Amino acid sequence: MSVSSSRKITLILGAELEKLVTLPLVWLTLMGTFILNLVLAAAFTSVGLQGAAGTQSILKIGLASMEYLQAGFIILGILATCSEYTGGQIRTTLTTIPWRGFQLSAKHLALAIVTIPMAFIIAASGVLYACIMMRDTALVIEIDAMIKTLVGATGYLTLTTLLSAAIGVLLRRTTPALVVLLGHYFIVSPLLRDFLPSIKNYFPDTAGYYMYMPPSSDEINVLTPIQGTGVSMLWTLIFITVAIVFYRKRDA
Amino acid sequence: MRAFNAELSKLFSLPGIWLAFLIGAFAPAVIAALDGTAQKEKIIAGVSTRLSEVGYIGLCLGVQGVIILGVLAVSSEYLTERSDSGGGNQITTSLTVVSSRFHFLLAKASAVTVISILLSIVAILTTVTATNLILGEYAPAFEASRLIGAVCYWIFTALLAFGITVLTKNGVIPLTVLMINSSVVTISYLLTKVTKLAFYLPDKAGSDMFMFTSDSFHTPFTGGLIMFAWVAVLFIVAAIVFHRRDVTS
Repeated sequence: MSVSSSRKITLILGAELEKLVTLPLVWLTLMGTFILNLVLAAAFTSVGLQGAAGTQSILKIGLASMEYLQAGFIILGILATCSEYTGGQIRTTLTTIPWRGFQLSAKHLALAIVTIPMAFIIAASGVLYACIMMRDTALVIEIDAMIKTLVGATGYLTLTTLLSAAIGVLLRRTTPALVVLLGHYFIVSPLLRDFLPSIKNYFPDTAGYYMYMPPSSDEINVLTPIQGTGVSMLWTLIFITVAIVFYRKRDA
Repeated sequence: MRAFNAELSKLFSLPGIWLAFLIGAFAPAVIAALDGTAQKEKIIAGVSTRLSEVGYIGLCLGVQGVIILGVLAVSSEYLTERSDSGGGNQITTSLTVVSSRFHFLLAKASAVTVISILLSIVAILTTVTATNLILGEYAPAFEASRLIGAVCYWIFTALLAFGITVLTKNGVIPLTVLMINSSVVTISYLLTKVTKLAFYLPDKAGSDMFMFTSDSFHTPFTGGLIMFAWVAVLFIVAAIVFHRRDVTS
């Protein structure tokens, strides 16, 4: 069958999107993340309300749950790629789409298409909750600062998801991929932040942190949002490239 | 006893188990070493406020190994095999061979317990060695009672992971929840700021068995008792659910 290459790409992308959308665990994960985020936002807000009133930044409290929120998106990324390997779906996929590089790029693109709106909604819900609850006590915030922060948060979550998907392709098993990523994001990285402050800014998560954290005077923001985005994106691109190289070379 | 041996052999041949052993044996030592390096100057000057935590912090944060162990022990049974090798579940075979579900669960839990005890002893050895190497003569003495508390904490954590996975059948959720909750900034810790009830959560109560910090809420013994109660309740629930559930549903 001969189809033009632009049509081919659309078809591959459509197939990848459909596979992703029909994966039941994807929706369960997203819903779970959404609910967990609201619970955490409530907890952080109530802690914030107990603290010195009027001095807290709504954005900071609304985004405090980001630290935990990223776990949901890590799972999402891993699920998207590792689900191919449980039960041998990968062979069907590669039989119908024998262009491995194309196929994996389309998968990442499809994942980004699903993730971006979801990440925005989930990040915004936390900030919105903090906004409503702290209306009386906190300082007024400008709307464009809020949008800038939310875009940063969405970008960070999307990059994290894509990075996790690439790691999932490399390791091909859900549990090791999950352990490696969660271990890095939740245990290794917070420890390194304390013990090796000189290189901490160049890890994907700490660099990504500057993408959404509003600059404040009492902390030293070493990276600007643009620099943070650059470092984070570089990591993601490197991992995706490595994943594609391995994916093309390796026996499925 | 034969079921127990079979469970041990199954656990040792799991594809992901090397990760559990590796992390369980060395993560606590690495964390303790990093913490020791960061604290060294303060300890030598005698102004450290966290002297009682040195070393133990590794054992508190390094429980990921046994979490993976507990989760993998159950989730591997429910993994659907590839369609070209039959597409079956291991659990069907296991329950055909050991037909009493209660015995099956008991044998598996015992296997997990035994491996966690061994793993925690290895972890304590590496952690104590690492602390002594870094701090030399300033290293605090490790008391046996607190080390036993740490071993109990590891066993209970492994069994919690085991019990939750029996209920969910899928490893992703318990692994995520427990790993995040054993990290540096735990959700339980956040909740303690909101309500005092959070001190009764299993990980918060359990860590009081050997972490003597300023925000300890329970005595070591009651902490252990509370965590044990969580494990016991979870096991009863898991046993009932497992007993009544259709195997592959």
